[in-house]
Amino acid sequence: MKFKNKVKSHIKELREEYNLSQQELADKIGVSRQTIYYLEKGSYNPSLTISFKIAEVFDDKRLKEIFYQEPVIKDILKNKTLEELDRIASKVGITTQKLIQLTKIDDDQLNENYSEHELEKIAKNLDSEFDDLFEE
Amino acid sequence: MNKESEAFKGTISRDFVKKEALKNNLFLFVLAISLILTFIIYLVLSGEFNFDLFLLLTLVCVIIPYLIIAPISAWYFAAYKRSFSYIIQENNIVINHGVFTKMRATIPYKRIQNINIVCGVFDRMFKTYTVKIETAGHSAVSSGTKSRGIGPEGYIPGLKDPHIIENRIKEMIFKSSLPPEGLEENIFKPNELAFDNFISYILSKMREGELLQTSIKELRENADMSASQLAERVGVPLQTIQYLEEGRYNPSLVLAYKIAEVLDCTIEELFKLK
Repeated sequence: MKFKNKVKSHIKELREEYNLSQQELADKIGVSRQTIYYLEKGSYNPSLTISFKIAEVFDDKRLKEIFYQEPVIKDILKNKTLEELDRIASKVGITTQKLIQLTKIDDDQLNENYSEHELEKIAKNLDSEFDDLFEE
Repeated sequence: MNKESEAFKGTISRDFVKKEALKNNLFLFVLAISLILTFIIYLVLSGEFNFDLFLLLTLVCVIIPYLIIAPISAWYFAAYKRSFSYIIQENNIVINHGVFTKMRATIPYKRIQNINIVCGVFDRMFKTYTVKIETAGHSAVSSGTKSRGIGPEGYIPGLKDPHIIENRIKEMIFKSSLPPEGLEENIFKPNELAFDNFISYILSKMREGELLQTSIKELRENADMSASQLAERVGVPLQTIQYLEEGRYNPSLVLAYKIAEVLDCTIEELFKLK
Protein backbone atom coordinates (compact mmCIF):
# COMPACT_ATOMS: atom_id res chain seq x y z
CA MET A 1 0.00 0.00 0.00
CA LYS A 2 1.15 3.49 -0.69
CA PHE A 3 -0.08 6.97 0.06
CA LYS A 4 -1.82 8.72 -2.74
CA ASN A 5 -0.22 12.08 -3.39
CA LYS A 6 -1.34 15.36 -4.69
CA VAL A 7 0.83 18.09 -6.04
CA LYS A 8 1.35 21.22 -3.98
CA SER A 9 3.56 24.16 -4.65
CA HIS A 10 5.66 26.87 -3.09
CA ILE A 11 4.52 29.33 -5.68
CA LYS A 12 3.06 31.76 -3.20
CA GLU A 13 6.25 32.03 -1.18
CA LEU A 14 8.40 32.29 -4.29
CA ARG A 15 6.12 34.89 -5.69
CA GLU A 16 6.50 36.99 -2.56
CA GLU A 17 10.23 36.49 -2.60
CA TYR A 18 10.39 37.76 -6.15
CA ASN A 19 7.96 40.54 -5.38
CA LEU A 20 5.37 39.53 -7.92
CA SER A 21 1.63 39.84 -7.65
CA GLN A 22 -0.58 37.03 -8.87
CA GLN A 23 -1.48 39.13 -11.89
CA GLU A 24 2.14 39.85 -12.72
CA LEU A 25 3.11 36.21 -12.53
CA ALA A 26 0.08 35.28 -14.61
CA ASP A 27 1.07 37.82 -17.28
CA LYS A 28 4.60 36.52 -17.38
CA ILE A 29 3.57 33.00 -18.16
CA GLY A 30 0.52 33.81 -20.22
CA VAL A 31 -2.34 32.56 -18.10
CA SER A 32 -5.09 34.22 -16.15
CA ARG A 33 -4.79 35.32 -12.56
CA GLN A 34 -7.36 32.71 -11.63
CA THR A 35 -5.02 29.97 -12.77
CA ILE A 36 -2.32 31.24 -10.45
CA TYR A 37 -4.86 31.41 -7.66
CA TYR A 38 -5.89 27.79 -8.17
CA LEU A 39 -2.27 26.72 -8.41
CA GLU A 40 -1.44 28.33 -5.10
CA LYS A 41 -4.51 26.88 -3.50
CA GLY A 42 -3.19 23.48 -4.49
CA SER A 43 -6.43 22.28 -6.03
CA TYR A 44 -4.94 21.93 -9.45
CA ASN A 45 -2.50 19.59 -11.12
CA PRO A 46 -0.75 21.77 -13.69
CA SER A 47 0.46 20.75 -17.09
CA LEU A 48 4.16 20.35 -17.56
CA THR A 49 4.34 23.35 -19.89
CA ILE A 50 2.98 25.70 -17.26
CA SER A 51 5.24 24.15 -14.65
CA PHE A 52 8.29 24.80 -16.77
CA LYS A 53 7.23 28.34 -17.51
CA ILE A 54 6.84 29.02 -13.83
CA ALA A 55 10.26 27.57 -13.17
CA GLU A 56 11.65 29.91 -15.80
CA VAL A 57 10.21 32.93 -14.04
CA PHE A 58 11.87 31.86 -10.83
CA ASP A 59 15.33 31.73 -12.35
CA ASP A 60 15.07 28.20 -13.74
CA LYS A 61 14.62 26.49 -10.43
CA ARG A 62 14.20 22.76 -10.59
CA LEU A 63 10.62 21.61 -10.65
CA LYS A 64 11.14 19.64 -7.49
CA GLU A 65 11.92 22.84 -5.64
CA ILE A 66 8.69 24.48 -6.70
CA PHE A 67 6.26 21.57 -6.76
CA TYR A 68 6.17 18.79 -4.28
CA GLN A 69 3.97 15.87 -3.65
CA GLU A 70 2.12 15.39 -0.43
CA PRO A 71 -0.17 12.61 0.70
CA VAL A 72 -3.79 13.58 0.23
CA ILE A 73 -4.57 12.33 3.69
CA LYS A 74 -2.09 14.70 5.28
CA ASP A 75 -4.08 17.71 4.18
CA ILE A 76 -7.32 16.25 5.43
CA LEU A 77 -5.94 15.36 8.83
CA LYS A 78 -4.19 18.68 9.25
CA ASN A 79 -7.50 20.46 8.93
CA LYS A 80 -9.20 18.50 11.66
CA THR A 81 -9.36 19.72 15.24
CA LEU A 82 -7.99 17.57 18.02
CA GLU A 83 -11.49 16.68 19.16
CA GLU A 84 -12.46 15.53 15.72
CA LEU A 85 -9.30 13.44 15.54
CA ASP A 86 -10.07 11.90 18.94
CA ARG A 87 -13.55 11.04 17.78
CA ILE A 88 -12.40 9.49 14.52
CA ALA A 89 -9.64 7.51 16.21
CA SER A 90 -12.02 6.00 18.72
CA LYS A 91 -14.52 5.13 16.01
CA VAL A 92 -11.81 3.28 14.14
CA GLY A 93 -10.46 1.68 17.28
CA ILE A 94 -6.97 3.13 17.30
CA THR A 95 -5.25 5.75 19.39
CA THR A 96 -5.33 9.37 18.32
CA GLN A 97 -1.56 9.24 18.21
CA LYS A 98 -1.66 6.49 15.63
CA LEU A 99 -4.05 8.50 13.53
CA ILE A 100 -1.83 11.56 13.63
CA GLN A 101 1.19 9.45 12.72
CA LEU A 102 -0.28 9.11 9.26
CA THR A 103 0.84 12.67 8.55
CA LYS A 104 4.43 11.88 9.31
CA ILE A 105 5.31 8.45 8.01
CA ASP A 106 6.37 7.10 4.62
CA ASP A 107 5.03 4.22 2.56
CA ASP A 108 7.17 1.59 4.26
CA GLN A 109 6.09 2.58 7.73
CA LEU A 110 2.53 2.66 6.46
CA ASN A 111 2.68 -0.97 5.48
CA GLU A 112 4.41 -2.03 8.66
CA ASN A 113 2.00 -0.41 11.07
CA TYR A 114 -1.41 -0.21 9.46
CA SER A 115 -3.69 -2.84 8.11
CA GLU A 116 -5.75 -2.31 5.02
CA HIS A 117 -8.84 -2.77 7.10
CA GLU A 118 -7.85 0.01 9.50
CA LEU A 119 -7.11 2.33 6.62
CA GLU A 120 -10.48 1.62 5.06
CA LYS A 121 -12.22 2.55 8.28
CA ILE A 122 -10.12 5.67 8.59
CA ALA A 123 -10.99 6.70 5.05
CA LYS A 124 -14.69 6.20 5.69
CA ASN A 125 -14.52 8.29 8.83
CA LEU A 126 -12.83 11.05 6.92
CA ASP A 127 -15.75 11.12 4.48
CA SER A 128 -13.61 9.58 1.83
CA GLU A 129 -12.77 6.29 0.15
CA PHE A 130 -9.76 4.07 0.54
CA ASP A 131 -8.97 4.50 -3.16
CA ASP A 132 -8.81 8.28 -2.84
CA LEU A 133 -6.20 8.20 -0.11
CA PHE A 134 -4.16 5.09 -0.80
CA GLU A 135 -3.11 2.90 -3.64
CA GLU A 136 -1.56 -0.51 -4.12
CA MET B 1 -14.00 14.78 1.01
CA ASN B 2 -15.96 17.96 1.10
CA LYS B 3 -18.35 18.34 -1.72
CA GLU B 4 -17.93 21.91 -2.74
CA SER B 5 -19.77 21.23 -5.90
CA GLU B 6 -21.16 24.62 -6.66
CA ALA B 7 -21.31 24.63 -10.39
CA PHE B 8 -18.87 26.89 -12.12
CA LYS B 9 -20.31 29.43 -14.47
CA GLY B 10 -18.14 30.86 -17.19
CA THR B 11 -18.53 33.39 -19.94
CA ILE B 12 -16.71 34.05 -23.15
CA SER B 13 -14.21 36.80 -23.63
CA ARG B 14 -14.92 40.25 -25.02
CA ASP B 15 -12.27 39.55 -27.60
CA PHE B 16 -14.84 37.32 -29.21
CA VAL B 17 -16.91 40.43 -29.95
CA LYS B 18 -13.91 42.20 -31.38
CA LYS B 19 -13.02 39.21 -33.47
CA GLU B 20 -16.49 38.81 -34.93
CA ALA B 21 -16.73 42.54 -35.54
CA LEU B 22 -13.44 42.46 -37.41
CA LYS B 23 -14.56 39.52 -39.52
CA ASN B 24 -17.78 41.26 -40.27
CA ASN B 25 -16.16 44.55 -41.14
CA LEU B 26 -13.68 42.86 -43.42
CA PHE B 27 -16.50 41.12 -45.18
CA LEU B 28 -18.50 44.30 -45.55
CA PHE B 29 -15.39 46.10 -46.75
CA VAL B 30 -14.76 43.53 -49.47
CA LEU B 31 -18.40 43.72 -50.45
CA ALA B 32 -18.24 47.50 -50.60
CA ILE B 33 -15.13 47.49 -52.77
CA SER B 34 -16.67 45.08 -55.22
CA LEU B 35 -19.85 47.11 -55.40
CA ILE B 36 -17.90 50.27 -56.04
CA LEU B 37 -15.89 48.57 -58.73
CA THR B 38 -19.09 47.38 -60.30
CA PHE B 39 -20.45 50.90 -60.39
CA ILE B 40 -17.28 52.25 -61.89
CA ILE B 41 -17.24 49.61 -64.59
CA TYR B 42 -20.91 50.17 -65.31
CA LEU B 43 -20.59 53.90 -65.52
CA VAL B 44 -17.52 53.74 -67.71
CA LEU B 45 -19.03 51.16 -70.00
CA SER B 46 -22.26 53.07 -70.34
CA GLY B 47 -20.39 55.76 -72.09
CA GLU B 48 -19.77 58.54 -69.69
CA PHE B 49 -18.51 58.61 -66.18
CA ASN B 50 -20.99 60.65 -64.31
CA PHE B 51 -19.32 61.47 -61.03
CA ASP B 52 -22.49 62.60 -59.34
CA LEU B 53 -24.26 59.41 -60.28
CA PHE B 54 -21.32 57.43 -58.99
CA LEU B 55 -21.41 59.26 -55.69
CA LEU B 56 -25.11 58.75 -55.36
CA LEU B 57 -24.87 55.04 -56.10
CA THR B 58 -22.02 54.63 -53.66
CA LEU B 59 -23.88 56.52 -50.99
CA VAL B 60 -27.12 54.64 -51.35
CA CYS B 61 -25.78 51.18 -52.00
CA VAL B 62 -22.61 51.10 -50.00
CA ILE B 63 -22.23 53.75 -47.37
CA ILE B 64 -25.72 53.93 -45.93
CA PRO B 65 -26.17 50.18 -45.69
CA TYR B 66 -22.78 49.93 -44.06
CA LEU B 67 -23.68 52.59 -41.53
CA ILE B 68 -26.78 50.61 -40.73
CA ILE B 69 -25.38 47.09 -40.80
CA ALA B 70 -22.13 47.72 -38.92
CA PRO B 71 -23.58 49.01 -35.66
CA ILE B 72 -26.41 46.47 -35.74
CA SER B 73 -24.05 43.58 -36.13
CA ALA B 74 -21.72 45.03 -33.51
CA TRP B 75 -24.69 45.16 -31.19
CA TYR B 76 -25.61 41.61 -32.11
CA PHE B 77 -22.18 40.19 -31.35
CA ALA B 78 -22.06 42.01 -28.05
CA ALA B 79 -25.51 40.71 -27.22
CA TYR B 80 -24.47 37.21 -28.21
CA LYS B 81 -21.45 37.40 -25.94
CA ARG B 82 -23.64 38.62 -23.12
CA SER B 83 -26.08 35.82 -23.66
CA PHE B 84 -23.37 33.21 -23.70
CA SER B 85 -22.52 31.26 -20.62
CA TYR B 86 -21.46 27.76 -19.82
CA ILE B 87 -21.98 26.00 -16.55
CA ILE B 88 -19.73 23.19 -15.47
CA GLN B 89 -21.76 20.91 -13.27
CA GLU B 90 -20.91 17.66 -11.66
CA ASN B 91 -22.03 15.38 -14.46
CA ASN B 92 -22.53 17.60 -17.42
CA ILE B 93 -21.78 20.90 -19.01
CA VAL B 94 -24.57 23.30 -19.84
CA ILE B 95 -24.18 25.87 -22.58
CA ASN B 96 -26.52 28.82 -22.76
CA HIS B 97 -26.61 31.06 -25.77
CA GLY B 98 -28.87 32.94 -28.13
CA VAL B 99 -29.79 36.56 -28.64
CA PHE B 100 -33.37 36.19 -29.79
CA THR B 101 -34.10 32.54 -29.10
CA LYS B 102 -32.56 31.44 -25.84
CA MET B 103 -30.99 28.06 -26.24
CA ARG B 104 -29.56 25.66 -23.76
CA ALA B 105 -27.51 22.57 -24.52
CA THR B 106 -26.89 20.07 -21.76
CA ILE B 107 -24.06 17.68 -22.43
CA PRO B 108 -23.28 14.85 -20.04
CA TYR B 109 -19.56 14.24 -19.82
CA LYS B 110 -20.10 10.58 -20.40
CA ARG B 111 -21.51 11.25 -23.84
CA ILE B 112 -18.71 13.40 -25.08
CA GLN B 113 -17.09 11.60 -27.98
CA ASN B 114 -14.72 14.20 -29.19
CA ILE B 115 -13.52 17.65 -28.32
CA ASN B 116 -12.05 19.83 -31.03
CA ILE B 117 -10.27 22.99 -30.20
CA VAL B 118 -10.04 25.32 -33.09
CA CYS B 119 -7.87 28.38 -33.44
CA GLY B 120 -8.58 30.02 -36.77
CA VAL B 121 -6.86 32.97 -38.34
CA PHE B 122 -8.99 35.48 -36.52
CA ASP B 123 -8.79 33.51 -33.30
CA ARG B 124 -5.03 33.75 -33.43
CA MET B 125 -5.19 37.53 -33.72
CA PHE B 126 -7.16 37.86 -30.54
CA LYS B 127 -5.74 34.86 -28.76
CA THR B 128 -9.06 33.14 -28.36
CA TYR B 129 -10.03 29.52 -28.84
CA THR B 130 -13.18 27.82 -29.97
CA VAL B 131 -14.15 24.58 -28.32
CA LYS B 132 -16.38 22.17 -30.18
CA ILE B 133 -17.82 19.28 -28.23
CA GLU B 134 -19.21 16.36 -30.16
CA THR B 135 -21.47 13.71 -28.77
CA ALA B 136 -22.77 10.44 -30.13
CA GLY B 137 -25.61 10.53 -32.59
CA HIS B 138 -27.75 13.45 -33.39
CA SER B 139 -29.85 13.70 -30.28
CA ALA B 140 -31.56 17.01 -29.94
CA VAL B 141 -29.85 18.05 -26.78
CA SER B 142 -30.23 21.73 -27.47
CA SER B 143 -33.73 23.00 -27.47
CA GLY B 144 -34.80 25.23 -30.27
CA THR B 145 -33.68 25.43 -33.83
CA LYS B 146 -30.21 25.18 -35.19
CA SER B 147 -28.54 28.51 -35.25
CA ARG B 148 -25.46 29.92 -36.83
CA GLY B 149 -22.38 28.04 -35.84
CA ILE B 150 -23.98 25.20 -33.95
CA GLY B 151 -22.89 22.06 -35.77
CA PRO B 152 -21.55 19.90 -32.97
CA GLU B 153 -23.63 19.58 -29.83
CA GLY B 154 -21.53 21.93 -27.85
CA TYR B 155 -19.89 25.03 -29.14
CA ILE B 156 -17.98 27.58 -27.09
CA PRO B 157 -16.34 30.38 -29.06
CA GLY B 158 -14.05 33.07 -27.77
CA LEU B 159 -12.48 31.21 -24.91
CA LYS B 160 -9.48 33.00 -23.54
CA ASP B 161 -7.92 30.89 -20.91
CA PRO B 162 -8.43 27.16 -21.12
CA HIS B 163 -6.97 26.65 -17.69
CA ILE B 164 -10.01 27.99 -15.96
CA ILE B 165 -12.25 25.40 -17.54
CA GLU B 166 -9.64 22.74 -17.06
CA ASN B 167 -9.34 23.35 -13.41
CA ARG B 168 -13.00 23.60 -12.70
CA ILE B 169 -13.94 20.53 -14.69
CA LYS B 170 -11.30 18.75 -12.70
CA GLU B 171 -12.69 19.92 -9.39
CA MET B 172 -16.15 18.91 -10.45
CA ILE B 173 -15.65 15.46 -11.75
CA PHE B 174 -12.39 14.30 -10.29
CA LYS B 175 -13.93 11.76 -8.00
CA SER B 176 -16.91 10.43 -9.76
CA SER B 177 -16.53 10.45 -13.47
CA LEU B 178 -15.37 7.71 -15.71
CA PRO B 179 -13.40 8.74 -18.76
CA PRO B 180 -15.80 9.86 -21.48
CA GLU B 181 -16.96 6.89 -23.47
CA GLY B 182 -15.53 6.56 -26.91
CA LEU B 183 -12.91 9.18 -26.29
CA GLU B 184 -9.77 7.11 -26.76
CA GLU B 185 -10.75 5.29 -23.63
CA ASN B 186 -7.49 3.54 -23.09
CA ILE B 187 -5.50 6.69 -22.78
CA PHE B 188 -7.59 7.92 -19.96
CA LYS B 189 -7.30 5.10 -17.51
CA PRO B 190 -6.41 4.56 -14.71
CA ASN B 191 -8.97 6.71 -12.99
CA GLU B 192 -6.70 8.87 -10.95
CA LEU B 193 -4.70 9.91 -13.98
CA ALA B 194 -7.66 9.76 -16.33
CA PHE B 195 -8.65 13.31 -15.82
CA ASP B 196 -5.14 14.69 -15.97
CA ASN B 197 -4.47 12.87 -19.20
CA PHE B 198 -7.76 13.99 -20.63
CA ILE B 199 -6.96 17.61 -19.98
CA SER B 200 -3.39 17.27 -21.17
CA TYR B 201 -4.82 15.91 -24.38
CA ILE B 202 -7.03 18.94 -24.78
CA LEU B 203 -4.29 21.36 -23.88
CA SER B 204 -1.82 19.86 -26.32
CA LYS B 205 -4.31 20.21 -29.09
CA MET B 206 -4.67 23.84 -28.15
CA ARG B 207 -1.00 24.42 -28.03
CA GLU B 208 0.46 22.70 -31.03
CA GLY B 209 3.11 25.35 -31.12
CA GLU B 210 4.28 24.73 -27.61
CA LEU B 211 5.22 21.12 -27.62
CA LEU B 212 7.64 19.76 -25.16
CA GLN B 213 10.72 17.97 -26.29
CA THR B 214 10.99 14.59 -24.70
CA SER B 215 13.74 12.06 -24.20
CA ILE B 216 11.56 9.39 -22.67
CA LYS B 217 12.46 6.82 -25.27
CA GLU B 218 16.20 7.23 -24.83
CA LEU B 219 16.08 7.16 -21.09
CA ARG B 220 13.77 4.19 -21.19
CA GLU B 221 16.12 2.30 -23.49
CA ASN B 222 19.10 3.24 -21.33
CA ALA B 223 17.29 1.62 -18.46
CA ASP B 224 16.72 -1.48 -20.62
CA MET B 225 12.99 -1.14 -20.41
CA SER B 226 10.35 -1.75 -23.00
CA ALA B 227 7.51 0.69 -23.46
CA SER B 228 5.03 -1.77 -22.04
CA GLN B 229 7.20 -2.38 -19.01
CA LEU B 230 7.38 1.34 -18.41
CA ALA B 231 3.65 1.64 -18.87
CA GLU B 232 3.03 -1.09 -16.34
CA ARG B 233 5.35 0.35 -13.73
CA VAL B 234 3.97 3.85 -14.07
CA GLY B 235 0.46 2.47 -14.10
CA VAL B 236 -0.84 3.78 -17.41
CA PRO B 237 -1.83 2.04 -20.64
CA LEU B 238 0.82 1.39 -23.25
CA GLN B 239 -0.86 3.87 -25.54
CA THR B 240 -0.16 6.70 -23.13
CA ILE B 241 3.55 5.96 -23.18
CA GLN B 242 3.52 5.68 -26.94
CA TYR B 243 1.73 8.98 -27.33
CA LEU B 244 4.16 10.64 -24.96
CA GLU B 245 7.17 9.24 -26.79
CA GLU B 246 5.79 10.44 -30.09
CA GLY B 247 5.45 13.87 -28.56
CA ARG B 248 1.75 13.83 -29.26
CA TYR B 249 0.79 15.31 -26.00
CA ASN B 250 2.11 16.89 -22.88
CA PRO B 251 1.75 15.08 -19.60
CA SER B 252 0.54 16.55 -16.38
CA LEU B 253 3.04 17.22 -13.65
CA VAL B 254 1.91 14.17 -11.69
CA LEU B 255 2.39 11.83 -14.61
CA ALA B 256 5.80 13.34 -15.27
CA TYR B 257 6.74 12.77 -11.64
CA LYS B 258 5.73 9.13 -11.85
CA ILE B 259 7.75 8.50 -14.97
CA ALA B 260 10.77 10.27 -13.51
CA GLU B 261 10.49 8.09 -10.43
CA VAL B 262 10.36 4.88 -12.41
CA LEU B 263 13.21 5.87 -14.70
CA ASP B 264 15.18 7.29 -11.79
CA CYS B 265 15.87 10.64 -13.35
CA THR B 266 14.68 14.22 -13.03
CA ILE B 267 11.72 15.63 -14.89
CA GLU B 268 14.05 18.11 -16.56
CA GLU B 269 16.00 15.24 -18.10
CA LEU B 270 12.80 13.78 -19.45
CA PHE B 271 11.17 16.89 -20.87
CA LYS B 272 12.21 20.30 -22.09
CA LEU B 273 10.26 23.28 -23.31
CA LYS B 274 10.89 23.69 -27.01
